[in-house]
Amino acid sequence: MEKAVMALAAALCVCGGCVTGLAEGKVAVQAVESIGKNPDAADKIQSMAIIGAAISETCAIYCLLVAFLIIFILGA
Amino acid sequence: MVIQTAVYSIIIITVFMALVLVYINRKLVSFDPLSEPKGVVLLMIMAAQTVDNMVKTKTNEKVAKYLAPYIMTIAAYIFLSNIAGLFSLETPTSNYSVTLALAVITCILIEVYSAKGRGVKGYIKSWFEPLAPFVVMNIMSKFSTLLSLSLRLFGNILSGSILMSVIYQMLGNISKLIPVIGQFNIVGVIIAPALHFYFDLFAGVMQAFIFITLSVSFIGKELPDKQ
Repeated sequence: MEKAVMALAAALCVCGGCVTGLAEGKVAVQAVESIGKNPDAADKIQSMAIIGAAISETCAIYCLLVAFLIIFILGA
Repeated sequence: MVIQTAVYSIIIITVFMALVLVYINRKLVSFDPLSEPKGVVLLMIMAAQTVDNMVKTKTNEKVAKYLAPYIMTIAAYIFLSNIAGLFSLETPTSNYSVTLALAVITCILIEVYSAKGRGVKGYIKSWFEPLAPFVVMNIMSKFSTLLSLSLRLFGNILSGSILMSVIYQMLGNISKLIPVIGQFNIVGVIIAPALHFYFDLFAGVMQAFIFITLSVSFIGKELPDKQ
């Protein structure tokens, strides 16, 4: 019973990744749109888009780490 | 005291990096500047120019002279550490102590350049901006930079290695269904290399790039005037 609850908790933690996926998709969409409008600034937009995606990815990584902690430390 | 297995791979990577750098140094010293560069020399010149330009556009010329070598070093080190899994070593960056150490170096550099740019008085004042009670917020924001820099690298690489081990287990169970030769993980040999390409090579290059880009941007943000 305890293990089942832990597995459910870990699965719920990883659900935070859904929102991050949407947000990173939004970053990519905006970057492609702005490169289409302004091809000269492609280099700058690319690096900014990567930084933005990386920062918003942190949220998903925290979710993943909490899931790992639940599985490997609570569940062990 | 237990010695973690990551220590051995750190030592191996450091020795390997030192040997490669000695070799490159020999090549560069014996290189005739008037002749056309090719091979290792051309590769190193291009890499150095790329990093130099990246640091120069985000900071200024004076800072870039001292910052670019550090950025190149951590880029090479993080990249080699991330792909260590391909050579059956334990990935050092999937150990939190290593990524925390790298992030601490970057955070100290951020503070040093902030203090250099503003002067001692301005630096102390910047902790109490915009109002005196905000000192708590400022300290927390400095710690959040440290946490997010280290946890991003750690989480990405750790999740990659854990996913790969889970996939190997699953493929091993599938290949047990094949009679006679099934004990040897035969499905894993066919499917796993493509996943190694994504989780080790692609994620490794991306995370090394993101780490250095964020380090340079955070340091560039603290400089007073960017030309």
